[in-house]
Amino acid sequence: MIALALVLLLALPWVLPPFYQTLFVFYAIAALVVLGLYLLTGLAGLTSFGQAAFMGVAGYTSALLALRVGVSPWVGLFAGLAVTFVFALLLGLLTVRLKGHYLPLATIAWQVALYIVMGSWVALTGGRTGLSDLPAVAVFGLELRDPRYFHYLAWGLLLLYALALYRLVHSRHGRMIRALRGDAVAAASFGARPPELKLWTFVIAALGAGIAGWLYVHFVRFVNPSPFSLEASIFYLIMAVVGGVGSFPGAFLGAGLLTGLEQWLKDLVPLVLGKSGNYEVIAYGLILVGILHLAPRGLWPWVEARLPRRTPPPPEGEGLAPRAEPLPEGPLLVVEDLTKSFGGLLAVNGLSFAVRRGEILGLIGPNGAGKSTTFNLLAGVLRPDRGRIVFREREITGRYPFETVRLGLVRTFQHPHLFPEMTVLENAMLGTYPRTHAPMLASMLGLDANEERRAAAEAYRALVRVGLAEKAFLKAGALSLGEQRKLEVARALAADPVLLLLDEPAAGLRAGEKRALAELIRRLREEGITVLLVDHDMELVMHLVDRVVVMHYGEKIAEGPPEAVQRDPAVLEAYLGGAA
Amino acid sequence: MRKGLVWLGAFVLSAALAQAEVRIGVTLSATGPAASLGIPEKNTLLLIEAGRLDRMPKGVKVRFFILDDGTDPTAAVKNTQKLIQENRVHLIIGGTTSPNSLAMIDAVAEAGVPFISLAAAKAIVSPVDEKRYWVFKTPQTDELMSQAVVQDMVARGFKTVAYLGFNTAYGEGWAREFEKAAKAAGLRVVASERYSPKDTSVTGQVLKILSRRPDAVLIGAAGTPAVLPQRTLVEKGYKGQIYQTHGVANPAFLKVGGRFVEGTLLPAGPILVAAQLPDAFPSKRVALTYIAAYEAEHGVGSYSTFGGHAYDAWLIARSAIERALGAADPGDLAAFRKALRDAIEGTQGVVGTHGVFNLSPTDHLGLKFEDAAVIVRVKDGKWVLERSFR
Amino acid sequence: MDPLIFGFLLSDGLISGALYALVALALVLVFAVTRVILIPMGEWVVFAPLTQAVLLEGRLPGTVWLSAGLLLVWAVLDRRRGRTPLLLALAAALVVAAGYLGLAVPALAPLVAILVVLPLGPANFRLFFEPLPGATVLVYLILAVGLHFVYKGLGLAFFGPEQFGLPALLPGEASVFGLPVPRQGVLMVVAAGALMAALYLFFARSLFGKALRAAAVNRIGARLSGISVREAGRVAFLLATGIGALAGVLVAPLSNASYEMGFLLGLKGFVAAIVAGLSSYPLAVAGGVLVGVLESFSSFFASAYKEAIVFALLLPVLAWRSVSSLALEEEE
Repeated sequence: MIALALVLLLALPWVLPPFYQTLFVFYAIAALVVLGLYLLTGLAGLTSFGQAAFMGVAGYTSALLALRVGVSPWVGLFAGLAVTFVFALLLGLLTVRLKGHYLPLATIAWQVALYIVMGSWVALTGGRTGLSDLPAVAVFGLELRDPRYFHYLAWGLLLLYALALYRLVHSRHGRMIRALRGDAVAAASFGARPPELKLWTFVIAALGAGIAGWLYVHFVRFVNPSPFSLEASIFYLIMAVVGGVGSFPGAFLGAGLLTGLEQWLKDLVPLVLGKSGNYEVIAYGLILVGILHLAPRGLWPWVEARLPRRTPPPPEGEGLAPRAEPLPEGPLLVVEDLTKSFGGLLAVNGLSFAVRRGEILGLIGPNGAGKSTTFNLLAGVLRPDRGRIVFREREITGRYPFETVRLGLVRTFQHPHLFPEMTVLENAMLGTYPRTHAPMLASMLGLDANEERRAAAEAYRALVRVGLAEKAFLKAGALSLGEQRKLEVARALAADPVLLLLDEPAAGLRAGEKRALAELIRRLREEGITVLLVDHDMELVMHLVDRVVVMHYGEKIAEGPPEAVQRDPAVLEAYLGGAA
Repeated sequence: MRKGLVWLGAFVLSAALAQAEVRIGVTLSATGPAASLGIPEKNTLLLIEAGRLDRMPKGVKVRFFILDDGTDPTAAVKNTQKLIQENRVHLIIGGTTSPNSLAMIDAVAEAGVPFISLAAAKAIVSPVDEKRYWVFKTPQTDELMSQAVVQDMVARGFKTVAYLGFNTAYGEGWAREFEKAAKAAGLRVVASERYSPKDTSVTGQVLKILSRRPDAVLIGAAGTPAVLPQRTLVEKGYKGQIYQTHGVANPAFLKVGGRFVEGTLLPAGPILVAAQLPDAFPSKRVALTYIAAYEAEHGVGSYSTFGGHAYDAWLIARSAIERALGAADPGDLAAFRKALRDAIEGTQGVVGTHGVFNLSPTDHLGLKFEDAAVIVRVKDGKWVLERSFR
Repeated sequence: MDPLIFGFLLSDGLISGALYALVALALVLVFAVTRVILIPMGEWVVFAPLTQAVLLEGRLPGTVWLSAGLLLVWAVLDRRRGRTPLLLALAAALVVAAGYLGLAVPALAPLVAILVVLPLGPANFRLFFEPLPGATVLVYLILAVGLHFVYKGLGLAFFGPEQFGLPALLPGEASVFGLPVPRQGVLMVVAAGALMAALYLFFARSLFGKALRAAAVNRIGARLSGISVREAGRVAFLLATGIGALAGVLVAPLSNASYEMGFLLGLKGFVAAIVAGLSSYPLAVAGGVLVGVLESFSSFFASAYKEAIVFALLLPVLAWRSVSSLALEEEE
C-alpha cells in the first residue's frame, strides 16, 4: 500500500498536468505545517494560531542570507531552522506553561507581533513590498526551478519529517504526549515532565513549519509577509481540523483537500454563478461548515470508521529488565509525623505509620478523615507541611511523582485516568515510561525499536496478569468500569512497582467485579508486590488486607489487624457515633 | 458515419480557429484590501472583452481568462502558473498590487511569457535584467507620482511635511519614494506615521503629526480608508495643506469624505480630469473615449484612474499583437509569446489614458513625467485640474 | 507629553475600549453558555452600521433578505415544533417590514439596522451550532471561522469594498474635563456602561439570567433543573448579537465602516475576552479598555508597530492571568 503510494509520488510530476504539479508542491508545503499541528494541537492539545509565523522566520532568514550575504539556499535551510529553533524555544518557554485559553491567545499574540515586525522593519525585510529575485535551490548544480523537480525536494523533505514524526508519535514520548493532553496529573504520575514534553512538542512543530517556510520562499522565489499572517495560520489550523486533527493521515487529507478546494472553487463558482470574485470565499466557508457537520472529528476518523480493521498480533518476546536493586529488610514505607493543612483546615495531622514488605495495608476512615490527602502526599502530588516519608530507606518527602515512580512507588486513580482514544495496550505501555530511556531524537530516528518491542511485551504481560489480554487492541474507551480499573492496575504493573498505591479501586464496581479485583490484588501480593489501598468498602478491605490504619480528623486513631481494629472502641465511635 | 465526419470536421475547424486565437490571462485583486483598485481594472477588461470599449486586433480573436487573486501574492503566483500552463496564454496582464506583481516576475520569466503589470512599484520593471526582460507596466511609478507631489509642495513654498500612510505595500512604497524625493528637494519630513486600512481611529498618529506642525501632510492611502486620517486632521484643527495620493481617485472617496476633503491636492494621471485638460494633452481624447464607455456601463462619475491603467495595458497589447502577427503565429506558443514581447518592447507612440507610451529595452514603462501626471484639487466635491507639468 | 495630548489619547482609547469591551462581553456571553468562540461576531458588528448606511442611501440592503431567509430556514427545520415555525415566519416578515420602514423613515435607520441584524445570531446558532451539541471547543472554533468566511464574503457582496460614512446620532462635541470630545464618543462610553450594568442586573437578579448562568456552569445540572440548554444558547446568541450590533451602530459615525473591519474588531474583542478568562464580565470590560488605551498610546509613540506592541504587551498579562487562575489538580 505504502509502496504503491511512493511509486505514485515518484511518477507524479511526469503524469500530472503542469499547473497541478505546482499545486502539488504547495500541498507538500501545507502538509509540513499541518503535520506539526497534528502533533501540537491534535496530540498535545495545544492549539496554535502561530505556525505561519515560524514559516516566516525560517523563510526570511534564508531569503535574507541569500540576498544580502550570497550564500546558497542550503545554508539558508540550516540557518533558518536554527533561528526557528531559537524562536520556538523562547516563545515556547513562555507559551506552554499557559493554561486553558491563554495558550492559543499567546500564539495569536506573537503571530501578529512577528507579522507586523516582518512588515514594518522595512530596512531588514523589505517590508510589505517584499524581496524578489531569490535564488532557486540547486542540487548538484541542477537548479530546481521547475515545479516538476521541486516536487522531489518538497515531498522528500515532507516524507522525512513525516517519518520522524510518525516514529515519535508511536514511541514512549508519543504516548506520553497524548497522555499529557488528556490528563496531566496521570501522565506525571508515570514519570512525564509536562513542561519539558510540551516544549519539545512545540519546537518540533515549529521546525516543520520552518521547513515549509524555506520551501515556500525558494519555490516562489519571492517573499513578503502575506503568507505568514494570522489568516494563513488559521488556514493551516482549518486544514488540520478538517482532516482530523488527531490523526496522522488526517493531516495529509486536510492539507490536500483544502489546497485543492481553493482552486476548484475558483474554477467552479464563476461557472455556476456567472461571475467571479466575491463568492468563492462564501462557498469555501459553507463547505467547511458542511464538512464539520458531517464529520465533527474530521474527515479521516469518518473514513477510518468505515474501513475494515486489522488486529495486529500480540507482542512477544522478553520484557524490560526488572529492578536490580534489592529491597531493604525493614519496612518498605515509613511515614513520620505527616502534616498538611489547607488554609485554616488541618487535613492531616501528625500521621505516622509504616508499611511492611509484602503486606497489604488498608487505609480507612470516615469521610473527611484525610485519606485522600494522605494518599496524595504519599504519591507526591502534594507537599507536606511537616513530617517525613521514607521509601526503600530513601527520603522522598516532597519529591515529584516522576521521581518516585522510578523508585517503584506507583499509584492508581479513583476515577480511572485512562486515555480513551489510545488502545488498551498503549495505555498499559504508559506504565513503562519510567523504565525506558530512549530520548526523543532516538525515537524519531527509529533507534528505539528494540526498547519499544520489549516495552510492548512487558505491557502485554501486565495485561495478561490482570486478565485483559484479549482486549489489548481495543480503544480503552470501550471498556467497562471494572475493566478500566484492571487496566489501571495493569498500567501500574508495567511500571514494575515495589509499592502499589490503590485509590478506591472498588468504587463503583459490582459485587462480582469486586471479588475479581480482590483476587487480583492477592495474586499481586503473592508475586511480591506490596500494596497500600484506600477504600470505603469495609467488606472488601477487611477480607483483603493484612493490617489496617484508621484515620479520623486527620489523625491515626487505630492500627492493627482487621479483626482488632473492627472491635476498637475509638474506631466504632468514629464511624457510628456523631457526625463525621 | 456521417455524424462522425461532422464531429471530425467541427473538431478540425475549431482547432483551426483556435490557432488564430490570442489568449490573454489576467490575474487581479477583485477582492481583498486592493479591491477598490482591482474592481475597476476588471470592469474595464470585461468591457473590452464585450467589445464595448475598443476594437479587437485585426485578423485574430482575443480570448480573456480573468482570475481573482484576493490581493494575495501566493494566489497571484498560482493564478499565473495556471494561466500559463493550463490556459496557455500568450500574454498576462494584471498583478494589481506591487507585491503581487513582484511575486509573478519569476513565474513569467521562467515560462517566457510577457507580462504587463498594473502596479506602481518601480522595482517591477527596473532594472531591466534577465527576468524583467519579460515584464512591462502601465501605471506611473510611485517615484514619478512622488516627484509630482514634491514639485508642487516646493512650488507652494512649503518647508516641512509629514507623512501618514498605509502599513501596506502601497503605503510603504509611497513612504519610501516620497521621503526620498522630499529630501532631495530640500523638504524636511518631520513625521512618518502608519495606520491600517481597517483601523477605526488614527488619533494617536494625527496628534503626533500635529505636535510637529508641518506645513503640509501627505496621506499615503487608497480608497475610502483615506478619509479617516484627513477627517481626524481637520477635526483636530489642522490648518495646513493636505495631500492625498492617486489611490483616492475614485468617486467613493469624494462621497465619504464630504466636506473634510475639500481643498485636498493630489497627483493623478491626467485621465482623472480628462475633460478639463487643454487639448494639447495627447491623452485627452483617448481618456474621454474611455470615460464615456465606462460611464455608460457603470454610471456617471464611476470611472477611476485604475481602470485607465488596464485600458492602457490593452492598447499596448492590441498594438503589439498586430505587429507580432507579422513575425509569428499564435499557434506556436513559445514563438508568439516571444514575438509579442518584442513587439511590446518596441511600442512607440501608443496614446493611452495616462499618457503616450514609448517603450525601449531599458524603459519598460515608457511614460514621460510631463504627460503622465497632473495635480488635481478637490473643489465643491469634484476633481478640478490644478496644474500640469507641461 | 503635554496634558492635552494625553487627554486626547486617553479619551480616544476609552472610546475604542468601550467598543472592544462590548464585543468582549458578547463573546464571553456566548462562550460561557455555548462554548463557541463566535468569530463572525466581528462581521455582525459592522453589518449593522453598513445596513444603516445602505438604508440611508435609499436602497434595501441584502442583510434584510439574509436575515429573513435564515429565519425561514429555521422555521422549516423546526416545522414540527408547535407554534415555533409560525413565530419565526412572523419574525421574518417583521424584518422585511422593518427594512422598508427604515427606507421610509431615515431617522429610524439605526434602530432598524440593529433589528435586521439581530436574528442572525440565534439563527446561526440554531442552524450551525445546535446540531453539534457535543463537539470540542476547537471544532466549534473552526466552524465559527467557516462562518466568518461566509459572512465576510456576504459583506463584500452586499456592501462593496468601500467604506461608508454615517451621520452621528449625537453630532457635535462636548467638553469633558476641558477636553473636546465628540458627543457620539461620549454616547458610546455611556451606552457601554449602561449595557454592562443592565447585563449585570440581568444575570444577578432575573430568573432567566440565573438560568443562563446555570447553563454555562453546568449543562447537565441545568437540564436536570428544567433549563433548556438549547434555549439558553439561543438567548445568549441573541443578546450577544444585540450588543454587537448596538456597538457597531454607535461607533460607526466616528470612524466609518467597511465590511473588512469586522475581523480585526472581533480579534481585539476576543483578546479582551481571553484576558477575562472567557468567563468574567468585569474583566472583559477591563480587558477591552486596556486594549483600547494601549492601542491609542502605541499609535502615538510607534504607529508602525502599534498592533505588535498591543499584542506583545498582552503576553505578560496572559502569563499573570494564567498563573492566577485556579491550578488544575484533579478534575472531577
